[in-house]
Amino acid sequence: MNKAQTPAESAEIRGRSPWRAAWDSLRLVMQDSFAVVGVVILVLFILIALAAPSLAPFDPFKAMMTDTGRLARLRPPSGDYLLGTTAFGNDVLSQFLHGFRVALLVGLVAAIAVGFISTVFGVLSGYFGGWVDDVLMRITDVALSIPTLPFSIVAVALLGPSIENIILVITVLFWRNGARIIRSAVLTERERVYVKWARAAGASHLHIILRHILPNIVRVIFLWVTMSVAFAILTEASLSFLGLGDPTVISWGQMLNTAFSSGNLRTAWWWVVPPSLALVMLISALYLIGRAYEEQTNPRLRRR
Amino acid sequence: MRAYILRRLAQSVLVVWAVTTIMFFMFRVMPADPTALLLERGLTEEARQALLEEWGLTGTLWDQYVAYLGNILTGDFGSSFLYRKPVWEVLTPLIINTLWIAVPGLLIGAALGAAIGTAVGWAKRGGKLERTGIFMATVIRGVPNFVIGIALLTVFSSTLGWFPGFGMGDPGETTGFARYMTLDFLHHLALPLIAVIIYFMPENLLLMRSGVVENRTEDYIELVRAKGVPQRRVAWHAARNSMLPLITWLFPALAETIAGIVVIEIVFSWPGVGRELVLAVTRQDYPVAQAAFFLLAVMIVLANLAADLVYGKLDPRVVYK
Repeated sequence: MNKAQTPAESAEIRGRSPWRAAWDSLRLVMQDSFAVVGVVILVLFILIALAAPSLAPFDPFKAMMTDTGRLARLRPPSGDYLLGTTAFGNDVLSQFLHGFRVALLVGLVAAIAVGFISTVFGVLSGYFGGWVDDVLMRITDVALSIPTLPFSIVAVALLGPSIENIILVITVLFWRNGARIIRSAVLTERERVYVKWARAAGASHLHIILRHILPNIVRVIFLWVTMSVAFAILTEASLSFLGLGDPTVISWGQMLNTAFSSGNLRTAWWWVVPPSLALVMLISALYLIGRAYEEQTNPRLRRR
Repeated sequence: MRAYILRRLAQSVLVVWAVTTIMFFMFRVMPADPTALLLERGLTEEARQALLEEWGLTGTLWDQYVAYLGNILTGDFGSSFLYRKPVWEVLTPLIINTLWIAVPGLLIGAALGAAIGTAVGWAKRGGKLERTGIFMATVIRGVPNFVIGIALLTVFSSTLGWFPGFGMGDPGETTGFARYMTLDFLHHLALPLIAVIIYFMPENLLLMRSGVVENRTEDYIELVRAKGVPQRRVAWHAARNSMLPLITWLFPALAETIAGIVVIEIVFSWPGVGRELVLAVTRQDYPVAQAAFFLLAVMIVLANLAADLVYGKLDPRVVYK
């Protein structure tokens, strides 16, 4: 499985490309049929998010009027409004489609921020140790004791409910576990014989990190990024559901919050079911992919 | 061992201090001018000054910080802006309410998860039971807790009318512990409790299943099997050893449950700490919000500490340094 572990001397020192390792890991995950289901859902959601503005029949904030000039509130699905209207006369389908963009934007930013920050900190502190490691460990000790949802509630309420602030809070919250997990993976890799050989053969630290350490921890990074994306989407949805969402954008959590606080949960199923279902599908899809990476990173779970 | 406990304790104190400091800056520095938010307009200057003093908002930031740390050390979180009574009087009954859904919810969720997780872990690898179990658990784990709440509320409360979906019921004349022993209370407890159970079971299930899968190929299982012990008992051997990670997971999970239950409390209007935190934040009742947040953070620190210590007791392979 691991090229670097074959006895060919030169390969030992050259290591392998982290991109190649990432691709191999992706291919391995795609052998898991549950992960394939997750990837298919994820790709579908990304396509819908990209096309949402042209798919949405109306402006999501526009109040629909009937022919007699009254507000078209709580209309069940019909030819005019495919998914009905809200209590405020907004078109549910248009709001629902815009929700894809918010969810995936939050997920994407979290993935990049968390993936990048966690990897940099995790690798630096795991590989070099010393004071960098000490500082990082003390910071994560504190960060891990902060209750995530209450912290986001307080921080977003104080900073002001906007999508930028929600993303900021999510990034601040979720890099910590990632950094810790990646650090411990680096610690194990660092002690491997081939790293020592490469070092003895005169390879630079950068070379060792890029071509020996990274290729072997790429699975751990992927696992953590997948989970972070799911947590980030879940956190945004929870905050919006609690009424702390950005009032200038439409997200699924917000749709549910409006339906809940206006007391229309039972009657307006067309308003409640689409955002709930989409959230469940998206988060489950990410968990299904994450699970495949988990099996991959833990050899004891593999089938024997 | 004793040195380790002492070091972990010192570490925990340090963490609590850091969290309180972060909290101080979050609540005092971030809103541009707290006094503008906190004080009603139309107060006389003296009344304003008196209120500021009462809430520890006078002097330089440093003075405020020192006073604030002193207050926390003596357990004084000040008075609620809204209720006009000490924060602890507001929060204490709410803590009990939260524990009422958190603790049974977590225990039942863990027990159910462990039982089903053992069955799934012991099932044939790649078989139907294993695959359905894993798939279902992963999907249910992906259901946000407010969606669970909304679904339960819509089906069992609004549509079928089997359970009330709002609050804890009318205490009437009963006070003290008797209040929690009424049928009315239990009736109100049912839906939020079920929501917590559904929310926590899948993670337990998957954790238990991983443990059993890891253990079932160990030599000691082969030995037990070779002795001719029936399948069920063999599975129990593997299950028992897989409970270790589950038990240590329970402590941080309890802390996270109490924090994460916020959303479930909101859906069912259950008067707990989390719901009060959300309400306090939106009402800008900062002393209550601050104390509620502090409470949740301390619970997590204590839970992590307990988990570390218990783990060492349970697993003799753990070496303390």
